[in-house]
Amino acid sequence: MKKTILGELEELVLLVVAASTEEVYGVPVLEQLQEQTGRDFTISAVHTTLYRLEEKGFLSSSVGGATAQRGGRSKRLFALTAAGGQALREIQETRSRLWQSIPESKRPLLAKLDLS
Amino acid sequence: MKKQREHLSDHQSYPQEPPRWVDRLLEWFVAPHLLEYIQGDLYEHFQKRVVQIGLKRARREYIWSALHCLTPFFFRRRKTNSYYNQNSNPSFKDMLSNYLTIAFRNLLRHKGFTAINILGLAVGMASCLLIVLFVTHELSYDRYHAHSDRMYRMTLHGRMDEKKIKLAYTSEPAGEALLRDFPGIEAMTRIRNDGGLLVKNGKDVFKEEKVAFAEPNFFSFFSIRMVKGNPAKALIDPKTVVLTETTARKYFGMADPIGKTLTMGNLGLFQVTGVCEDIPSNTHFHYDMLGSFKSVNGGTKWLASGAHTYVVLREGYSIKQLEAQSEALVNKYVSTEIKEFFGLSFAEFLKKGNQFGFPFQRVTDIHLYSNLDDEIEANSDIKYVYIFSVIAFFILLLACVNFMNLSTAGSAGRSKEVGIRKVLGSVQTQLVGQFLTESVLVTFLALLLAFGLVILLLPNFNDLTGKVFTLSSIFNCRVLGGTIIGCLAIGLLAGSYPAFVLSSFKPITVLKGKVQAGFRSGWLRNTLVTGQFAISIGIIIATIVANQQLKFMQNKKVGFDKEQVLVLHETQVLGEKVNAFKNELAKLSPVVRVSLAGFLPAGISRKSVDGVQVKNGERIVTHRTKSYYIDEDYLPTLGMKIAQGRNFSKTFPTDNSAILINEAAAKAYGFKNPIGEQVSLTGDGSDGSKKKYTIVGVIKDFHFETMHQNIAPLIMFYGGDNAQLALRIKTDDIPTLLYNIEKLWKGQTDNPFVYSFLDERFNSMYQAEQRIGQLFGIFAGLAIFISCLGLFGLAAFATHQRTKEIGVRKVLGASISSIVSLLLANFLKLILISILIASPVAGYVMSQWLHDFAYRIDLSWWIFILAGMLAISIAVLTVSYQTIKAALVNPVKSLKTE
Repeated sequence: MKKTILGELEELVLLVVAASTEEVYGVPVLEQLQEQTGRDFTISAVHTTLYRLEEKGFLSSSVGGATAQRGGRSKRLFALTAAGGQALREIQETRSRLWQSIPESKRPLLAKLDLS
Repeated sequence: MKKQREHLSDHQSYPQEPPRWVDRLLEWFVAPHLLEYIQGDLYEHFQKRVVQIGLKRARREYIWSALHCLTPFFFRRRKTNSYYNQNSNPSFKDMLSNYLTIAFRNLLRHKGFTAINILGLAVGMASCLLIVLFVTHELSYDRYHAHSDRMYRMTLHGRMDEKKIKLAYTSEPAGEALLRDFPGIEAMTRIRNDGGLLVKNGKDVFKEEKVAFAEPNFFSFFSIRMVKGNPAKALIDPKTVVLTETTARKYFGMADPIGKTLTMGNLGLFQVTGVCEDIPSNTHFHYDMLGSFKSVNGGTKWLASGAHTYVVLREGYSIKQLEAQSEALVNKYVSTEIKEFFGLSFAEFLKKGNQFGFPFQRVTDIHLYSNLDDEIEANSDIKYVYIFSVIAFFILLLACVNFMNLSTAGSAGRSKEVGIRKVLGSVQTQLVGQFLTESVLVTFLALLLAFGLVILLLPNFNDLTGKVFTLSSIFNCRVLGGTIIGCLAIGLLAGSYPAFVLSSFKPITVLKGKVQAGFRSGWLRNTLVTGQFAISIGIIIATIVANQQLKFMQNKKVGFDKEQVLVLHETQVLGEKVNAFKNELAKLSPVVRVSLAGFLPAGISRKSVDGVQVKNGERIVTHRTKSYYIDEDYLPTLGMKIAQGRNFSKTFPTDNSAILINEAAAKAYGFKNPIGEQVSLTGDGSDGSKKKYTIVGVIKDFHFETMHQNIAPLIMFYGGDNAQLALRIKTDDIPTLLYNIEKLWKGQTDNPFVYSFLDERFNSMYQAEQRIGQLFGIFAGLAIFISCLGLFGLAAFATHQRTKEIGVRKVLGASISSIVSLLLANFLKLILISILIASPVAGYVMSQWLHDFAYRIDLSWWIFILAGMLAISIAVLTVSYQTIKAALVNPVKSLKTE
């Protein structure tokens, strides 16, 4: 199997699922995303991404309980799989490797950006 | 879905609901396996937002985010991962070969159905193919010339003395003047067409009708290939001529014609300087010989000369500029001549309501749109292209409808097959594929048969249309490619309905024997049959009307007796001897009377027009009137009647200044009592040519032009024209008479003996109408044939379906006749409806067609009744075979089936 590439939204969604303590479904993921990034997302985009990630094997899903708020419809709950965790780790490692390789002379630039 | 209903009570406790229509949209659009969760999330989010931002905005947000779900991702249905689905994807090739095997077996099992299907389609396709050939050829006229898009013909339109003039040629100096004065002309060429000539090569003499005199640049202007000789130099010198390949072979056989000479009429000896290919059939002229332009005396007067003039516009110049320039030409050159000829200034000339101008027409439009006087050849009409295209479309439509009808009808018999196939694991796409393969196979079999028919019918078709199509005009890549694609489309379209209906059967119901697809789609088949018959009846009505009009024109009293009149051509070659010859002919016993008849009301005739000035009180009115030159034998020979006064006679020496007029002329000139009235002729404008004439007689009106026109005024001068002789004969033994006359002729001259009969000449004037009549007849036959094939198939199907019902009815005491009428009634209803639809439409279209004729029949009710009765009786004949057969079956047998 060739290495799967994760898009930005996919990575974010995967991180949100990983960060939550229990299994999550569409609405909390959407809220977390909006809170963390300050950007607007639609539910359909979140769902599409969740299903994609499941297809890639990074998430697993199960059917969860319905509430009255939802008009009696059940939820699809997602949880991180080992493959998903691995993928996140790889991304993280790649990133930090790249961070490490930024030469000393450019560090102020980074710092300055952080400040601003 | 169920869950939703269970929680309905909870759901109602939240009064803030998102818009209902959005939900419905979602439920319809989103795949079921995704719907529950996405809709749930949307709801939950909505409820939260209501609290945060209020109902109105939350609803708007809900709509917005729901609309975002309308993506392919949410639409795609999950593939069911059942057992047989995994095994139902065999390779395409295997499936196709299986489809074909099954299709062949099926077709062979129902031989009758297959034959009807294929035959109907093949006839439809063959006629369509032929018509497409015809239409594309008509549309291709003159498009092969190098600059055909910028090529124009200069014409002459005018109005003089209340009479419109529209000529295909223009003044001879006009082309040169245009080339000189207007920079937008890239090339100009002229052709002079002086009529037929007797061409002599040693002892051989032929009458050549298609002779013209062309300028040296003819072969670079028109894209006509020169086979021998130099195209640029061939027509430069006077007395040179270029022959077409066929003509060259006619005169010189295999010998090289270059440098040989031919005597052309009284123009003298011409040297052959080139041979060109035969003029392509899709050209608006088909000359056999082209002499050099300089061989004939060029006219210098704008108002008294003529040549067909063609120009190629330079790129970047518009036809508007060209037309503006032609107005300038009129002002610059023509106005002075008008003064010379009419004694009027140009302004006065125009003030009298006269007009003069040189409009231009596209060369590519000549064949289909131009209908001027003195066209080089009789042109076709775009109307016929339309008529033919519509007919082709209808015939093909009929055939396709048939095909669809029969396939759906036959489908009921196959519903069990579909059921079994589905139970055994076929999926719908496979079944659709199978039925489509079958229908495409049938269309291709039909195509093969259609090609056979076309090859068989091509000679007849050529006769009918007057074209020369060869097999190579059909079997070339373009036509073949087109037909194959067309066939595929027809097969897929016609097969689609049965394919999708059949394959959607539910196996359980089908196998229980409940669904009768045949009945379910009955309305569709009925509509189709009605449509078919409406078209057929329409075409029948058109045929009857066209033939009635034709008969009317040929039988209408034309004002002269056209039977038993023999016409000898080219008698002017006898010169002075013509009168002696005439007397000799008169001595033959079967010959009643002989007359000099250069002017005749049908076929080849001299033409002459004169300006007649009539004093009407104080005012002098000039009429432009057609004129005949006749001798004293003319009227009795042709059987024309005198209404008032007398015929010309040798006993009146003053008859040289006497004229006869027809009744139309008497009316036009305003004479109550025309005998003795005087008129004067304008001649060519000079004082010397003006002459006074006294009217000595009035002839009853006769048709000297086609029935498209009203009878126009006509004057007759004394002094026969010797171009032709007319003989009133009275004999049953025409061959002997002809033999005797030919013997006399050969005693006088070497020239070929050419003759014709007046009634044949008269009939050939209506060739176009005759052709249309014939074609309508043929297509009406085809349409009826195809419709009947369909009806036959349907009747077979319907009676088969009702076998049991008929059996039960018979057991209960129904008579054979009552059963037959029961079955017939169904079909008759459809045909009555189609009569009601077709009659007004066909009536309207045909009355439009009749408007082209000044003398025409009325559309009487019996035409419609006849067409209707014809359709009904043909339909009854078709259907009754099936119904009587069904009604005669012993009920024991029919009830035992299954």
